[in-house]
Amino acid sequence: MKIFIKFDFTRICTKVIDEKLMELGIKYRMLNFGEIEFLEEVPADKLEAFDAILKEYGVEKIENQKVILVQKIKDTIIDMVLNANDNINVKSSVYLSEKLGHSYGYLSNVFSEVTYTSVENFIILQRIEHAKSLMINTDLSLTEIAYRLQYSSVAHLSTQFKNTTGITPTTFQRIITKRRELNTNKT
Amino acid sequence: MLLKSLYSSERFLKIIFGLSLFIVLVMGGMSYQLIRKLSKSFEDVQHTYQVHIELEKLLSALKDAESGKRAFIISNDSTFLEPLLNSESELEGSLERLKFLTKNNPEQQKNIAELKIKIDKNLEIFEKTLDLAQSNKIDSPEFISSFKEGRQTMNSVRFKIMDMTTHENQELGLRKEKSSKTLSNAPMFLYYVLIISLLILLLTYLQISKNLKILKEKNELLETFKESTTQSEIISKHGNWIWHVEDNTFEFSDNLYRLLGEEPQSFEPTLENFIAFAHPDDLDKLTEQVNKMMENEDLPFIHYRIVQKNGTIKHFKAYGKVLIDSDGHRKLLGTTADITDEIENYRLIEERNLELERNNKELASFNYVASHDLQEPLRKIQTFISRLEDKEQANLSDNGKVYIGRIKSSSARMRSLIDDLLQFSRTNKSEEAFEDSNINILLETAKHDLAEIISDKRARISSDSIPSMKVIPFQIKQLFLNLISNSLKYSRENVAPVITISYSQTHIDDLPKVKYSKHNRYHTISVKDNGIGFEQEYAEQIFTLFSRLHNKNEYSGTGIGLSICKKIVDNHHGYITAESKPNQGSTFTVYLPITN
Amino acid sequence: MREDYTYVVLADDDEDDRLFFTEAFEELKMKTKVDIYKDGVDLMNALNQSDSVLPNILFLDLNMPMKSGLECLKEIKDNQRFKDIAIAIYSTSASEEDIEDTFVNGANIYIKKPNNFNNLKKILSDVVTMNWQYHTSGLNKDNFLLRL
Repeated sequence: MKIFIKFDFTRICTKVIDEKLMELGIKYRMLNFGEIEFLEEVPADKLEAFDAILKEYGVEKIENQKVILVQKIKDTIIDMVLNANDNINVKSSVYLSEKLGHSYGYLSNVFSEVTYTSVENFIILQRIEHAKSLMINTDLSLTEIAYRLQYSSVAHLSTQFKNTTGITPTTFQRIITKRRELNTNKT
Repeated sequence: MLLKSLYSSERFLKIIFGLSLFIVLVMGGMSYQLIRKLSKSFEDVQHTYQVHIELEKLLSALKDAESGKRAFIISNDSTFLEPLLNSESELEGSLERLKFLTKNNPEQQKNIAELKIKIDKNLEIFEKTLDLAQSNKIDSPEFISSFKEGRQTMNSVRFKIMDMTTHENQELGLRKEKSSKTLSNAPMFLYYVLIISLLILLLTYLQISKNLKILKEKNELLETFKESTTQSEIISKHGNWIWHVEDNTFEFSDNLYRLLGEEPQSFEPTLENFIAFAHPDDLDKLTEQVNKMMENEDLPFIHYRIVQKNGTIKHFKAYGKVLIDSDGHRKLLGTTADITDEIENYRLIEERNLELERNNKELASFNYVASHDLQEPLRKIQTFISRLEDKEQANLSDNGKVYIGRIKSSSARMRSLIDDLLQFSRTNKSEEAFEDSNINILLETAKHDLAEIISDKRARISSDSIPSMKVIPFQIKQLFLNLISNSLKYSRENVAPVITISYSQTHIDDLPKVKYSKHNRYHTISVKDNGIGFEQEYAEQIFTLFSRLHNKNEYSGTGIGLSICKKIVDNHHGYITAESKPNQGSTFTVYLPITN
Repeated sequence: MREDYTYVVLADDDEDDRLFFTEAFEELKMKTKVDIYKDGVDLMNALNQSDSVLPNILFLDLNMPMKSGLECLKEIKDNQRFKDIAIAIYSTSASEEDIEDTFVNGANIYIKKPNNFNNLKKILSDVVTMNWQYHTSGLNKDNFLLRL
């Protein structure tokens, strides 16, 4: 007799990790698939036991210096975007290499390797996200937002916004407003 | 206003009438008084004359007796003594009558009494002398003295009578004087009263004639009104009727009969006769409504059908309202209108609406089919071709590769046709889509959409700053997109496109080919290029759907792009023109009204 | 510390489109897991299982028999359990009304099905990357709107 079975790897892995961590008495939170946050300080012996048990199932803890560096790059970029006013006229590449003590080329390579996207793209994305939150949470006009985020003109901001999101800032604002109306009507 | 003046003039007339009546009464009373006074004074005069006559008679009787006595004495003829006997009784009678005539006058009574004594004395003397004469003792002194005495008494009687006459005359004079005073004042007074009443009469006449004039005018107005009502009844196909609530009787206007297809007033205006025309299907409903009308004395709008004698069915609409006239009578004024045409028109419009709706639905579903169902297989064809190109390139013969290439370009063309057609059918106008927009941003977005071709062709695009306008944003973006891509598409070979977008304002008078517009000034945006251009004679043709000036192998247009531009500009109540010379480039100018 | 593994689900009634979709992800060689449902009803049944594993990105065709993509979208948005799923509308139509309507109703991504396989690959890779960015960089998912 021959039967066919279908595996749901996600489910299997999630279940295994859940069971083993429970056995060890470690409180945790599954942030996303493949990302676990320990909710309290875990003693070294428990961590070792955890590594050993998981190895049996082919699960390995990623301990990568590059990932940590990428996180640092991201943090620096976010900080840079949020405080755009303070570092006018400083190129982001210069700013990053000065802040992190690596050449920009190196940083850029590591970043792309880990995130499948470039530092430049990440900066743009962050700026656009910041613009979005300013549009939604403040009464600032597009011109003022463009100025704050150091865009040369509203048109420049609009173009980059459209490039990144596929919609114009005005459409974005309209959609968010309508969405809020819809949600308030529901409740 | 008029009613009020009429009312007051009516009261005025009543007052005048009462006043006149009173004056006539007063005049009558006064005249009666006057006449009575006149007849009294006449009586007085007559009385005086009677007294005079009686006194004269008395005196003449005495004189007759005296002269008879004297004639007897002279002639000794006893026949002369006959009047003597008469005069004695006459004297007696005259005295009696005088006494009666002057019974109201004590002085005259006294005078009469004295006169009687004197007459008696005179008669006594007279008899004495007569006796003496009969006994022929005429020459005796006794006779002579008696004779003398007789003459003396005779004279005293005469004087007395004269006294009395004078007295009577004086009395008459007094009375005359008294009555003449009142009598001379009376005509004057009567004259005044007459004049006053004449004046009042004149005033009344004026007022009445004025009222009559107003009445006449009103009558004329009423007549005109009636005429125009009749006319409007005929024109607007309605008839009027009145229901006198108390008597339960009806009045129908002429046109109501005509609406029923009958001669005016050709039958008794009764409810039964009218209801007889009702359409059998509406009979119960109408009867019920009429009963309700009788009950509530009100008629809200009702609809029903009637059948004319020739079989024509008409739709009627009726309405009525109670009116209480000045006498308190209740009348229900009703209007019945023939709304057959209206209903026919309504039905026609409804039918057309349904048809339009159906057409619109068909169009919408066509749009959906075009946007979804047509695109889907095409998209798959294109995707499969891209798969073939990527994965099977090596397995294809050279011919196969050419065919694949042809399929690819054909399907690409079909795609652009579908996309453009969709764009065209979606370019509709809806008022709420208008919003204040930054035109510069719209232009930037359009340029951004074309970024790839712009850099491929090394095109240079410069533009003025354009003020913001109230527009349908995505349509204006589309307008820029189409105009710029048009310029890019029809560029000259080996010449980098240079596109200049400029802004100005134009007064309506300077706008070509525009006769009338409610807007005075227009935003003017022109897009100028250095492309291949076209003959000016095609400047209008290029805006019509599917019109192309070039072979599709040379240039990849669908002939829809500029039609979309025209439609967008139309939606914005604007104008678009084109100016061109072959090989020297073209200028497309868009005029959009400046609104406040 | 983590594996970049994205769980992707597609609900589409069109066989060819399902084929393109899976082939594209196969060729992309991103670390993704793809599940396919042939219509909205199937999809919702699977999602509504209490122990179902929820996708990171859910691709919804708009025009499906029985249960349209928009209906699925509304159902998903009404359920708190599904709040972390990024919803990508995957449709032939690109009418402005459809786009705005789905965004307003909570869609994060609107994809007009491309007519070229390489474009499809590029788009799907962009979507996964962008979703990844939102996920890893702590961006506000409420503001995640992407039109491709």
